[in-house]
Amino acid sequence: MPAIVAKGLRRSFDDVNAVQGVDLEVAEGEIYGFLGPNGAGKTTTVRMLTTLLLPTDGTAHVAGFDVVSEASSVRQSIGVALQEAALDPLMTGRELIRLQATLHGIPTADGRRRADDLLERVDLVAAADRRVGGYSGGMKRRLDLAAALVHEPKVLFLDEPTTGLDPVSRKGIWEEVTTLNGEGTTVFLTTQYLEEADQLANRVGIISAGRIVAEDTPAILKAAVGRPHLEIQLLEGEPDQAEAAFAGLGRTLPRKDGRVLVELERGASQIAEVVRALDESGVTVGALELVEPSLDDVFVATTGEHLEEE
Amino acid sequence: MGWQANVATIRALVGRSRNELLRVPGAAVPGILAPAIFFLGINGIFGALVGLRGFDGNSYLNFVLPVSMLQAAAFTGAATGVNLARDIEQGWLDRLLASPAPRWVLLAGMVTSAAIRAVIPATFVFAIAMILGGRFPGLDGMLITYTIIPAMAVIGAFWGSMLALKYKSQSVSPLMQSGMLAAIFLTAAYAPMALLQNWLRTIAEINPVNDVLQAVRQGFIGDVTWAGTWPGYVAVVGLTLVLGALALRQMRRQAV
Amino acid sequence: MKLRVVRALGMRSIRQTFRRPQLIAPIVLFPTLMLAFQTGGAGSAINLPGFPPVQSFLQFMLAGATMQALMIAGNSGGIAMAVDIEMGFIDRLFVAPISRYAVIFGRLAGTAVLGLIAGAWFIVVGVVFGVHFEGGILGILLALALVTATATAIGAIAASIALWTGTASIVQGLFPLIFVGLFLSTAFFPKSLMAEPAQTIAAFNPLSFIVNGVREPFISHLTATVALEAIAAVALIFALGLWMSASALRHRLRTGV
Repeated sequence: MPAIVAKGLRRSFDDVNAVQGVDLEVAEGEIYGFLGPNGAGKTTTVRMLTTLLLPTDGTAHVAGFDVVSEASSVRQSIGVALQEAALDPLMTGRELIRLQATLHGIPTADGRRRADDLLERVDLVAAADRRVGGYSGGMKRRLDLAAALVHEPKVLFLDEPTTGLDPVSRKGIWEEVTTLNGEGTTVFLTTQYLEEADQLANRVGIISAGRIVAEDTPAILKAAVGRPHLEIQLLEGEPDQAEAAFAGLGRTLPRKDGRVLVELERGASQIAEVVRALDESGVTVGALELVEPSLDDVFVATTGEHLEEE
Repeated sequence: MGWQANVATIRALVGRSRNELLRVPGAAVPGILAPAIFFLGINGIFGALVGLRGFDGNSYLNFVLPVSMLQAAAFTGAATGVNLARDIEQGWLDRLLASPAPRWVLLAGMVTSAAIRAVIPATFVFAIAMILGGRFPGLDGMLITYTIIPAMAVIGAFWGSMLALKYKSQSVSPLMQSGMLAAIFLTAAYAPMALLQNWLRTIAEINPVNDVLQAVRQGFIGDVTWAGTWPGYVAVVGLTLVLGALALRQMRRQAV
Repeated sequence: MKLRVVRALGMRSIRQTFRRPQLIAPIVLFPTLMLAFQTGGAGSAINLPGFPPVQSFLQFMLAGATMQALMIAGNSGGIAMAVDIEMGFIDRLFVAPISRYAVIFGRLAGTAVLGLIAGAWFIVVGVVFGVHFEGGILGILLALALVTATATAIGAIAASIALWTGTASIVQGLFPLIFVGLFLSTAFFPKSLMAEPAQTIAAFNPLSFIVNGVREPFISHLTATVALEAIAAVALIFALGLWMSASALRHRLRTGV
């Protein structure tokens, strides 16, 4: 049974159609990356799937339960770490997790044990009895994640979990997500960061203007928009000479900023061949760069806009 | 920095304070409405007190109007401290402290805005009183009132700012407000001195704000005299100097 | 709706109040200061013809000060709920497998406790300053029950405004209206000695009935009529507050705003 199924999911606010018919299916145990720029409908979609917002039309099932008619059962099965880490600055970290345990019906003693375990897991033991208002951004995110896990949910929704975090904190969250997934948790991850989706997601759905415009594994999506290419800065020799040398190895692309470009069918494994061919033709290479298609290229191909600023 | 730059800084800070009122919907309403509500409430509730010997036939409305106007001014001033505490918590003050503007200029900007803003709720209360048949205090009474009102706001602003700079937290807001509450009401606010309970009369006799109140009140209930005026101005100047010095000391102690 | 959840949310709401001095001070400090100023300044009022026979002006005013405190307590519950909405914490509660109404009742449970604390505080103030409670222990208990219930009822109205607007500053802006309600009641002075139109309004103001119910056991002996009128007034405000809160909650859940 899929962990998440949405069919024709729509949501309108007055005259704004925030989500215009989203169809998606997330398998159990999968990490699904939901990519899109600000205003694309990511958070609205997540809020519908987590029963915080009623759909205007369409259906969605999470952990086998209908998000509208079986909302309570959905809430028992999911953990949610929202975009704005919804934390009370006056509570301590320990109090927050214990409250979360109570809200999920976990008996008091078990809740306390769970809180201790989770605080250790997210490395917040030292700060556990300090007020959340004094936590750093990274600490708040880790606490939010811990709170989402207190009842060992089957499906975990992470809405932009690393936005605003430094690289070290971000890496920590990635590691935790990977570990959770290894333990069998399905993860629905929304993000603006291509690298995050690339690193973590088994499959990626790209949403733009309220619709899913592309969906597949990162590798397949990227391969669909192009192959890797080599950008070569020449030290000695003419560009025509260089292009004649590697003509049989790949497709010659338009030159860029004085560099010659060749598209490679088999990617990095062809680099040595190209360099050998150039050397044999008397061309000296100054600099070499292998450029892989990115999810941003996928985004540009499907929407005409960049997801990330250049 | 030259005096022109200082004046420009003060104007900019006053402008920012004005934005808080104009750009936040409804922000000005509580500050204007609350003193008016208190004025009408106190007058409506305790108005029968004029039946007691000691009020000398005065209307309670005229008697209590100066209290409400001073309360409006003092609370506007205290609100400056509350806003400063918020600015400190949000890091905005650091931005000002990192600028070349002298500390006294920063403080002057904050209290100047309080002095200007205080005129609005005080005048609102005054207008209501006049509509209800209150006594016009005469030009001399108006002059005294409208020089003391901004000064009272400055006193409240120095008090609030001092606390904000010392404790750097909005949690001391109640202290700012209750300090002004105590200053205004530990006086002959509700009744003449002779009718006060003993403990309150003792405090009112030494509370400088009582002299301020009497200076403003005299025109509303009778004639303005020099004897009734000068103690109020001495009190205002004294409180301004003392609290201003304390606030400036706290401002200078802020490390960047 | 699980009681355990309501209790946990109620405890949170109480902790919040005590961890922010600027939240607890208006409930206790300001009404106490005003009580001191009013008894010190207007205490001679008991000499006015027509003033009810009382031991002291303090004995008369305790009920009004208590009302002021409990109404501020009720409003502060609404402000706290609006802050929860603004910072997104309420989403955490909505996404949990609890009854959505538990969010309201949890907040009201906390407000009830604050109201009780406020009532108890003024009883203590009265005892310390030598007030004799004519209605005895039973009278005090009735007064505390009325105070607790009224704080909860006011809290329900404030919570509804928080749920409709989602903005703490709007709920905070209701603060002056609390005093409008109190000034137009018998909280601070006997009705017969108030000026018009305050006197006429006070005659019909539900808060007057509640104040009378709280005051009567302080200054005289309990009577069934006054007690029942007070209870009816509380019930009316509570029903209104609950209806408003439920409507606002359903609107918020439906629209997401």
